[in-house]
Amino acid sequence: MDTIEEKLMPIAEKLATNRYLLAIRDGFMLAMPLLIIGAMSLLLAYLPIKGYEPFMAKLFGSNWMDFFMVPYHATMAIMTVFVILGISNSLSKYYKIEGMSTAVISLTGFLILTPFFTMFTAEGSKIAVKVGGVIPMEWISSKGLFVGMISAIIATEIVRFIINKGWVIKMPEGVPPTVAKSFSSLIPATITIIIFNFIRLGFTFTSFETIHNFIFTILQVPLTSLGDSLGATLVANFFIGLFWSFGISGGDVVQSVMSPVWIALSGDNLTAFQAGLALPHIITQQFNSIYLWIGGGGATLGLCLLLLFKCKSQQCKKIGKLAILPGVFGINEPIIFGLPIVLNPIILIPFILTPLLLAVVTYISMKTGIVPRPNGVIIPWTTPPIIGGYLISGARGAILQAIEIVISIFIYLPFITVVDRTYCEQEEAYTQAELAETIKE
Amino acid sequence: MKKIALFCSAGMSTSLLVTKMQKVAEAKGIEVSIEAYPEATMETELDNVDAVLIGPQIKYLLRKLKKICDEKSVPISVINTMDYGMMDGEKVLNQALKMME
Repeated sequence: MDTIEEKLMPIAEKLATNRYLLAIRDGFMLAMPLLIIGAMSLLLAYLPIKGYEPFMAKLFGSNWMDFFMVPYHATMAIMTVFVILGISNSLSKYYKIEGMSTAVISLTGFLILTPFFTMFTAEGSKIAVKVGGVIPMEWISSKGLFVGMISAIIATEIVRFIINKGWVIKMPEGVPPTVAKSFSSLIPATITIIIFNFIRLGFTFTSFETIHNFIFTILQVPLTSLGDSLGATLVANFFIGLFWSFGISGGDVVQSVMSPVWIALSGDNLTAFQAGLALPHIITQQFNSIYLWIGGGGATLGLCLLLLFKCKSQQCKKIGKLAILPGVFGINEPIIFGLPIVLNPIILIPFILTPLLLAVVTYISMKTGIVPRPNGVIIPWTTPPIIGGYLISGARGAILQAIEIVISIFIYLPFITVVDRTYCEQEEAYTQAELAETIKE
Repeated sequence: MKKIALFCSAGMSTSLLVTKMQKVAEAKGIEVSIEAYPEATMETELDNVDAVLIGPQIKYLLRKLKKICDEKSVPISVINTMDYGMMDGEKVLNQALKMME
């Protein structure tokens, strides 16, 4: 056990302190509240209740949907913009250079790579017309995420390189510092824009025409379709369990790698949901956080219920009482460290297995169409079960979550019974020893 | 007044512990302010802090976080695993008080 821990700790540390992964995490963290607001507004525009639409139209007029769709378009639908700003700002802070101006330079770099036209097919026509003077929403949505992440990192690196080289305009003494500062990002910005412009130019000579088409085809599509597979989900969740087994917050470590892919998948589904098309993916960020991590990593909500209502030892009961409320909101450190699950070989078996089994159950029920696929709406991972399932897959999603809790109870049952019995014996031995002591006195 | 800061990955499970520690401090009449934060924000939250405690689930980040604390010469330590699990406010408060002695 110790040697595995010795191997895992450095991996977790490397992943969690890698400056690029850290910056990407911060980028998504900056965008997250906006993604949640945008997704929720979209949900309010398309609430899956019969008669909702005509009711709202009657109440607020035929344009009522705009009230929800405009915030959606200004947040979730252009998420790449916020992710770029967040990544660049975080990476700048790491390098101890000015965050705000570097972030803006990064965004400019990205926009240079983005075509400022879109192909439009008029109703009734078969010919697509090139329409200029627009920034296509397509490429600043989740479809442009990977180009955005790459642009933010490259632009920030260029700026850092130039600043470290000392290639900045220096003002003579006597010029007010604020004035001097306004010129300080001029050279880094110019060079970054020139480099990005050459990248853009280079791609016009290829059959892809833009880097967006290139990255989307050769990187984002393969990566996301890999991420959309059951196999990859099982591997990711196995590692989350393995890390937690040694007390390392596995969700954070694994998500630092998987989140960009999972959020891109969520974004794809949401775009399709909004357009009224069939949802392309089963695996999304919410597939994991809502269906697999019920009560926290390891799907421990069922275990909480067992501790509360089935276990007899004081230790188990006490932890159950302590863990049930946070557990409802997906927080399970009390149970992980208090029961404990960490380094407890008996309870680790169901802890690792349950999410994997739930992944298979959820995947099959969505593949066969019994339960609707996640609509891509990003809800906080702290959303309690049943409500969470309802928001992302409707009533059948809520039922699936209830069934999953029951499944998790059955998997944990034989194992927690063993643990509970050991605790009971220990507690009994302890009280008897105490009793013997008092009689002696 | 002494200030204790607790950090974990999202600042959520530690905030649970914070309320328990505050209750103990109040009952014992110890004047101390205790707050919970996500570890990502440590750099900006260290002003006037007298002791930093981190959740055991981010022990793997100790090296990086210690560097940040060392720069501002704030003592840092990892909360005992079992005390964290049992959300034992008293023991963790004592651990923090000892660090500030």
